Amino acid sequence: MITARFTRCVPALVVLALILTACGGAASPTPEEPASTEAPVTEPAAEPVVLRIGMSGSPDSRNPGNAWLTEAFDLIELVYDALVYIDFSGNYHPELAESWTVSDDGLTYTFTLRAGAMFSDGTPVTADDVVFSLLAYRDWGDFGYLSGYASYFADAQAPDPQTVVLTLSTPIGNLESQLLFCYILPKHIWEPFAGDVEAAVAFENAEMVGSGPFRLAEFRQGEFYRLEANHDHYLNPPVIDEVIFQTYANQDALVQALRAGELDMITELPATVVPALRGEADIVVAAGSSRSLRDYIFNLSTPDTCPVDEGGVCSGHPALRDRIVRQAMAHAVDKQQIIDVAELGLATPGIGLVPVALGDFFNSSLVDYTFDLALANQMLDEAGYIDTDSDGIRECPAQMDCGGRQLDIVMQIPSDIGSGPREAELLAGWWSQIGIRMTPQVLEPDTVTANCCPAFDFDMMLWGWSSDPDPSFILSVLNSAEIPTGLSEAAYNNPDYDALYAAQTAELDHAARVGQVHEMQRMMLEDLPYIIPYYQQEVQAYRTDRFAGWPLPAEGSGDILYLQDPISLTLIQPVQ
Amino acid sequence: MQRRDYLIKKTAWSILTIVFVLILNFFLFRILPGDPTTAIAKDPRLTAEARQALQVRFGLDRPLLLNLEGGSLFDSQFFAYVTRLAQADLGISFNFNRPVADLLGERLLNTVLLVMGGQLLSIVLGVGLGLISAWKSRTAFDVGAITFSLAAWSLPTFWLGIILLILGSSYLGLPTAGRETVGMDYAGWWDQWRDIGRHLLLPTITFTIVLLGEYMLIMRSSVLEILSEDYILTAKAKGLSHLQVLWGHALRNALLPVVTLIALNLGFTVSGAIQVETVFSWPGLGSMIFDAVRRQDYPVLQGAFLLIAVSVVLANLVADLIYSVLDPRVKSA
Repeated sequence: MITARFTRCVPALVVLALILTACGGAASPTPEEPASTEAPVTEPAAEPVVLRIGMSGSPDSRNPGNAWLTEAFDLIELVYDALVYIDFSGNYHPELAESWTVSDDGLTYTFTLRAGAMFSDGTPVTADDVVFSLLAYRDWGDFGYLSGYASYFADAQAPDPQTVVLTLSTPIGNLESQLLFCYILPKHIWEPFAGDVEAAVAFENAEMVGSGPFRLAEFRQGEFYRLEANHDHYLNPPVIDEVIFQTYANQDALVQALRAGELDMITELPATVVPALRGEADIVVAAGSSRSLRDYIFNLSTPDTCPVDEGGVCSGHPALRDRIVRQAMAHAVDKQQIIDVAELGLATPGIGLVPVALGDFFNSSLVDYTFDLALANQMLDEAGYIDTDSDGIRECPAQMDCGGRQLDIVMQIPSDIGSGPREAELLAGWWSQIGIRMTPQVLEPDTVTANCCPAFDFDMMLWGWSSDPDPSFILSVLNSAEIPTGLSEAAYNNPDYDALYAAQTAELDHAARVGQVHEMQRMMLEDLPYIIPYYQQEVQAYRTDRFAGWPLPAEGSGDILYLQDPISLTLIQPVQ
Repeated sequence: MQRRDYLIKKTAWSILTIVFVLILNFFLFRILPGDPTTAIAKDPRLTAEARQALQVRFGLDRPLLLNLEGGSLFDSQFFAYVTRLAQADLGISFNFNRPVADLLGERLLNTVLLVMGGQLLSIVLGVGLGLISAWKSRTAFDVGAITFSLAAWSLPTFWLGIILLILGSSYLGLPTAGRETVGMDYAGWWDQWRDIGRHLLLPTITFTIVLLGEYMLIMRSSVLEILSEDYILTAKAKGLSHLQVLWGHALRNALLPVVTLIALNLGFTVSGAIQVETVFSWPGLGSMIFDAVRRQDYPVLQGAFLLIAVSVVLANLVADLIYSVLDPRVKSA
């Protein structure tokens, strides 16, 4: 009679389970006194100084050629060095290169390397490693983001172990900004992948042998990584001994961990908690510029510029191609209110595609369109956009190819931009007061990508960009040569702008190049392929009771804030 | 013989279900718009060639079901998937660049650690509370227990987790994320497990509270129904004590619906408490699935869904078998 015996077993099992869980599940984790999360003190003298950083994401790869997320580049920047580095104001400084000279034709650069640089496996960094890395990036072609920075490299040679001679195919005015991302890889580790980009990308790079101020000690993808300081670094030896980056799947937990002292710094925080955190003792909320911006794109593609061969549909409302309409719409946007509502005040009013964080490249002399609904209405009236049927929406003038069609447009918004719908609601409200009906349409990001470019199947889009430290890339977005490639989102077509773009690429004189970049910003403000409502701010928070010396941007300087940058992490020191 | 037939029938159905899930899994994820390479396509620095290379690397350039472009008819994504599965190869994660089977193994252990404690606690407490509530029905205890259970059942997991996290971290100094304190040198295994235990405490409590209410309510109504049966009256008339009636006569029958619920919940254990894992950054299967969905990591999703399907089917099979023991009438049904 198995069943009869079993009956008595069931409650017995339940009781057993109760005992087991009482011991295993609840009893063993005895809560300790607060703030005891540090390693147990064994020998006070040998206790390493550990900085704990919390972040929302996690590096997607340890291989610079297979990494796409900013979290991965935070790690790569700490472990690898390049020939140059950039400070928070956008100035370049020598890193692995001690100095360099340029030939008169701007084609040949001769670098002298610093003495004493070592890879984390104990081998010295030589000119061979630098030449190998620069040429590998050029030859691999599709090594993640990085190959794009090596496209002007013609050749590199190492006449002696401390000298590198780099030859360019054409003179460029921003070589430093290209070298910034050419991380110097150890030749003895990467040589087997030379000429084989697929193998190079597939390489796990678990050890991350680099010459940077930190060395990878432990890595658990999606959970945490631990770095040990390279106290013998030739340029910037860190004061602290270790850094731990831990991933938090939930932002509320991230903030709570900072409050509880479990973390010393958090790389990001929701704007909603900023006021509450600002009042906390021992916590500083820091804000600075970032290179990210929000943009409202107009579809300017015409039957002439439409890239039909690349799948161009070019369905934008024809009235938006009229500059007067775009300028009137710009007069009907209150940027400060968008910042206050969508970003809770943590943003800077925008003007063009070059963000304020790009230092002297940002044209601060431009004057934006004033928020003036009456003026906007007057401009549209004078241009012949009249509401003929008195339904509150204007129609195109009869002589235009959209004659009689209502100014009724759709703005596509990718669903991963959280503030998008709120911004669009504000815009729709203002624009309805100048007789333009705008309907927001939130779509899956892949769909927006597909509709965008080179399909140009939209009236307007709400999206964003993040600029390089150098303006060349972000300026190329309005280059008409990029209309068929899908990089141009507005199909902006202005030969004067294109000429200036080519000129600034080759301009070797910095001041002259700045002048050209400023003029391009003036053009885009006048022509308005985009309305740029704001430049986002970087907001980070840290505790003051354990570490001091965090570098913060000076008020109004436009400097960026980047507390997990190698500069910051080598500067900070424990509070005595 | 009856029992063996029943067993064979149930096992056969289970296998069939798993095969069906295998096929469904493959197509399910490919209905999603876009592919993993378009997820990063907004980045203009990813050239068309690079995107092409990514597609070749993950086999996404091949036809979906049948290769009609010449060459072998079976040179398609689907048959590559089936062949690899037959070799117990779940593929390589797009995102982690590591074998899916390894990833699942690591994460499964963590999830079991988290969910098993919570399940057992909630079963024991829920069933116990339901039993006592039914016996003391319409007393203050009963009303209190029902109110508590209803409240616990309807609490949003995410919200409860965050509240417990903030309270536990602020007042008890409990950790807010992860499985262990990173970078800690443990004096021994005991030290390490104590640390893991501290990390487990809050997620386990959250999980227990969320599950407990349902067990309690179902157990209570089930016992109440049994207690109104004639044979209970007979047992009482024989002069048996309250405990004897409950333990020896009511419990076994009342457990049937609860066993079903437990089996269902245990099956879904593997999918983890996605919400609990996300709140507490617990490195389990749930958070991995959450990430995989966001990044369209097909191989991980396929592997995880397969694992979930197998465990749900197995848990149901076990429930069926326990049923047949608890209630002999089931065998002939």
